Amino acid sequence: MKTLAVVITTPPYSPLTATAIAYVEAALVADISIVGVFFYQDGVMHANKDINIASDEYQAIAQWQRLHQTYQLPLHICITAAEKRGIACDSIDNEKINEVFTVSGLGELVEITTKALRLVQF
Amino acid sequence: MTILDQQSSDSLPPENGLAIINSKAPFSSSHGKDALDIALIFGSFEQKISLFFQGDGVYQLINNQDGTLLSIKDYLKTFSAFEFYDIEDIYVCQQSLSNRQLGEDFHISDVQVLASIEFGAALNRHQHVLRF
Repeated sequence: MKTLAVVITTPPYSPLTATAIAYVEAALVADISIVGVFFYQDGVMHANKDINIASDEYQAIAQWQRLHQTYQLPLHICITAAEKRGIACDSIDNEKINEVFTVSGLGELVEITTKALRLVQF
Repeated sequence: MTILDQQSSDSLPPENGLAIINSKAPFSSSHGKDALDIALIFGSFEQKISLFFQGDGVYQLINNQDGTLLSIKDYLKTFSAFEFYDIEDIYVCQQSLSNRQLGEDFHISDVQVLASIEFGAALNRHQHVLRF
């Protein structure tokens, strides 16, 4: 089986995000198993509930939400990178974090990388 | 041509594991530190990891730098711990060094300086690549 892991290091307002989402969805439609998407560096901002992008611009976060709900796509954020950027992960209900994202650490990146045949970074 | 011939004979079998390309100068962004964190985690999970330094990334290896002068935590010091994480494959692009008129004066030992084509071939032996 073809397996893929994806690393997102660009923020939701980056044009690369639209490319990443189109790529991920194309892979899912082609029946490639995506082991996980790992959000690192500025990529963790995708999980910030308070991000508000003008309604006539590309809504990256809504797209991740849709992919997660449609395909049960696992979305992991790096806790250290998130806390550095004001996305607090230590409260019990993680109220700043969009619920489709799982708070993880770099160990998760090791996990998905070793399970995947290919690793793609955006 | 000899290098090309060598490359084709060296190219199989592919190594597994992750290659991290460091392409940014050490203290003007957090890319180097973020890449280091990944390298150390892979090392502590006993996963094979190789480090590649290219472009301004070669500055991360140059000796006698002190990030604390810029009030930056000097993560370069941690490079000396690579052997404890079994990180042994460290490659630097010779062209990037000479473009910047830098000598091979590194703050860690066992760095392999490779010409562009060998650098590319070494990179090719890895299953996964991340770039910072």
